[in-house]
Amino acid sequence: MRKFLAVVKHEYKKIVLKWAFLIGTLLLPLIASLFAVVPAIIFSLKGEPTRIAIVDASGKIAPRIERNLTAEKIAAKAEKSARDSMSNISLTQQDQIKRGSEQMGSFFVFSNFDPAGRSLDDIRGDLMGKISQGVLDGYLIVPENYGSPDAIFEFRSRKAGDFVSGGSFRDAVNDAVRSQRLADANISEKTLRELSQNVNFDEKGLDEKGAERDSDGVMAASFVIGLMIYITLAIYGQAIMAAVVEEKETRIAEILFSSARPFTLMLGKLVGVGLAGLTQLGIWIGSVLVILAVIASQTGMAELLPKMPVITPLMVVFFFVFFILGYFIYASIFALIGSIVTTVQEGGQFAFPPIMLMLIGFYFSFVVIRDPNSSLSFWVSIAPFLAPITMPVRILAEMPPFWQIALSVLVNGAAIAGLVWLAARVYRTGMLMYGKRATIPEVWKWIRAS
Amino acid sequence: MIDSPSLRVEHVSKRFGEFTAVDDLSFEVRPGRVFGFLGPNGAGKTTTIRMIVGITAPDSGTVELFGQHMSAEMQDRIGYLPEERGLYKKMKIVDQLRYFAALKNVSGAEADKRIDFWLDRMKLSEWKSKKTTDLSKGMQQKIQFISTVLHDPDLLILDEPFSGLDPVNVEFMIEVLAEFKTKEKTIMFSTHQMETAERLCNDILLINKSKKVIGGSLREVKESYGTNLIALRMTGGESVLDDKSIVTKAIVHADEIEVHLTDGADPQLLLRRLVESGSTISKFEEIEPSLNDIFIEKVSA
Repeated sequence: MRKFLAVVKHEYKKIVLKWAFLIGTLLLPLIASLFAVVPAIIFSLKGEPTRIAIVDASGKIAPRIERNLTAEKIAAKAEKSARDSMSNISLTQQDQIKRGSEQMGSFFVFSNFDPAGRSLDDIRGDLMGKISQGVLDGYLIVPENYGSPDAIFEFRSRKAGDFVSGGSFRDAVNDAVRSQRLADANISEKTLRELSQNVNFDEKGLDEKGAERDSDGVMAASFVIGLMIYITLAIYGQAIMAAVVEEKETRIAEILFSSARPFTLMLGKLVGVGLAGLTQLGIWIGSVLVILAVIASQTGMAELLPKMPVITPLMVVFFFVFFILGYFIYASIFALIGSIVTTVQEGGQFAFPPIMLMLIGFYFSFVVIRDPNSSLSFWVSIAPFLAPITMPVRILAEMPPFWQIALSVLVNGAAIAGLVWLAARVYRTGMLMYGKRATIPEVWKWIRAS
Repeated sequence: MIDSPSLRVEHVSKRFGEFTAVDDLSFEVRPGRVFGFLGPNGAGKTTTIRMIVGITAPDSGTVELFGQHMSAEMQDRIGYLPEERGLYKKMKIVDQLRYFAALKNVSGAEADKRIDFWLDRMKLSEWKSKKTTDLSKGMQQKIQFISTVLHDPDLLILDEPFSGLDPVNVEFMIEVLAEFKTKEKTIMFSTHQMETAERLCNDILLINKSKKVIGGSLREVKESYGTNLIALRMTGGESVLDDKSIVTKAIVHADEIEVHLTDGADPQLLLRRLVESGSTISKFEEIEPSLNDIFIEKVSA
């Protein structure tokens, strides 16, 4: 027992006391928060204003375009589209959008160009000259038949690739022309808005007891859970492999094997590295909880929280159980690979099959999120190798009957027993074979030899 | 029980598929003595040692340590320094030593005490908190030796313990081993260096092609091998050496003659004949065969 604990402690310290662990642990939450902040920063960077000449013989469209592109108009529009795309929007985000769009409003400087009865080609040449001199960035020619369906609005700009201003400019033109057409048809803008109002579509999922739950929140949370388990399994599985290969490469294995049973060493290694993984996962989950608590204390965000799926302590226990199952399944596969290969690089090539299995599990979790009660969801959440990723997602999406969870634990527990047994046998022989990578028939021989 | 062997290997065989690595090997190692385990590369030394320290099990035959069968507890009484030794590259020396001690069931406090003692003894105290990669090869070798003796083993098995050490450190290690010997510990080591073996070993075992060739105390082995070599320095009487009934071969070196006697010939007879022939003899010495000679003859035979 002392030897086992010594191995556990050794493996744990070897990972946790490394800079890479500290950086990795802190970096992930940091990167996550960066993703939230950086777009806003970039958004708020000011560009040069775009100078556009509008050639409008009718004189009706140009003023409307200008009005549509005032700062307030753009802000209101951006906010509306943001609202449409996000189920919820926080006060701080609203602020950001408003600020961003106000700055964008000042992106446009308009000058009216009086056609004065000249021909279009003449006007174009004149404008082109100004653009090439750098006095102007672009021009728009409003056709006289703006009301007709096949009227062509000619927009030429040196900043045509600038999708932000290009997009809002096109929208502004569209709106202006539509308003004018409505005005020509004697329909007021207000009437139209009332007529074309979207229905209020109140969508909520139901659980088996008929209680309402919010499907968006479940989607996001399931995805995050699935991703987190997948990442942790991949990282720590490969950490196991690296640890095994190091002991083989440096020939420490021989000293270890003369001190403790290979099975003790292997199990100690799995547990030690696993605890390091749990530590990291614990820190991540803890920091998420802290962030949520901070958000909850801010009034503006409080309404976001009820949208989060309810996570009961029982669910947490299940997540924990399935994480451990998954860890032991994949870690023993990686340990097995580590004892066959001769270098970490070589191991990297062989890491493909287990990574593929994990990815399949991760992809199947989308099936589970979409329909947690289908028979496909049932099978993938029972299947060994896949269940450690799919079952937690399924539990979050909709708690399956207890016997299914128990069956899944049983099936995967059996898979672990087999894999650890297999890995220990390969480990025992493979670790003392130096120089070349073992072939599959050789490995098979090691497994069969007592 | 002083004289009961601390290690007894009986009729041990080990096969890897078609290949027999160790074939019906038997020997005993006694406490307070240094046992030299000799043989060319691929003779089966490492395989035998691995069976003794419990890394692999023999296909047939038994290994007994201190009168008991090999077991996990027995492993704690062995200190094993493998030929292919290693240390964790990016780990502090003290942490590695603590780990190896813990794997041999030494408590943390006791391990710390012994680590300090041995680092001081090896003059490596200032390297305690350094990483392996900061140490020279010779230093690493000494650290590895420390890791083999931290649990104060009763049986020390060293595979090529002196390879890679400079002469000063070889002397130092021999001194340390001598201490173990006086403490009635058992030392078994394998080597290719016959000079070292000849100097250190009380008993030897030579194996070749997975089989025992000769074994026993160094003295016995040399005597059983017989002394039929004479180093001779003389003037006159060369004709005596032509007598094929006594001398098979006489090789003339720079300042002396190496005389090979025929089997069973009495060296004293040669001496008498030389004196009778009126030769002036300044040196007449029976030479024991060196372990090196025995090794080469037995292995190449």
